[in-house]
Amino acid sequence: MTTVLAPVAGTAVGLAAVPDPVFSQAMVGPGSAIDPERAPGQAVAPISGTIVKLHAHAYIVEGDDGRGVLVHLGIDTVQLKGEGFRLLAAEGDRVRAGQPVVFWNPAAVEEGGRSPICPVVALDAADGDVNGQVRGGVGAGDDLFEWS
Amino acid sequence: MAADVRAIIAGLGGVDNVIDIEPCITRLRTEVYDASKVDQAALRAAGVHGVMLAGNVVQVVVGPDADTIASDIEEIIG
Repeated sequence: MTTVLAPVAGTAVGLAAVPDPVFSQAMVGPGSAIDPERAPGQAVAPISGTIVKLHAHAYIVEGDDGRGVLVHLGIDTVQLKGEGFRLLAAEGDRVRAGQPVVFWNPAAVEEGGRSPICPVVALDAADGDVNGQVRGGVGAGDDLFEWS
Repeated sequence: MAADVRAIIAGLGGVDNVIDIEPCITRLRTEVYDASKVDQAALRAAGVHGVMLAGNVVQVVVGPDADTIASDIEEIIG
């Protein structure tokens, strides 16, 4: 069992609330989503493992058991080409759950006309394998859901 | 199932129909000349998770190997 942590502080709202069908229809896996606090802050690793993909606006941490968790910082934020995001780790780095990965500002993303909501996805997990999703207020590094 | 790169190109209407292809962590954002040549059923059969078509922009959801798949496609289409 893997406990997946909230990568950012905010309100856990569930994947269905994400305005992007790739996430709301769980095309790449089940999970949750956080409507982040509108303040500059650090996005942290949701699990311990290796950063196998690191973009400014999204990253995947893969545990030693091969399970990957995707964190996407806002919707359509690939279009920002990294502007407003600062990397605090590098692709290939080993990280522990809760370790900072990217510094960003959800308020700036929203001012740019994009949703700052953050999907957190258990990649290629079966629907029934993700449960215990927390709803409501969370801090960065708090438990978000369980991947059995 | 890993997505089949050549089948994805065929599903997008072939090499000559693809204007641009950009990976975004879980998906390929592709721009095509003629959206009517995009075969969504063929793309799904190629092993992708989903397809979204808006105008002449096709988003092909391939999962976390999007970067690798995009560079494989770019090598083929040149």
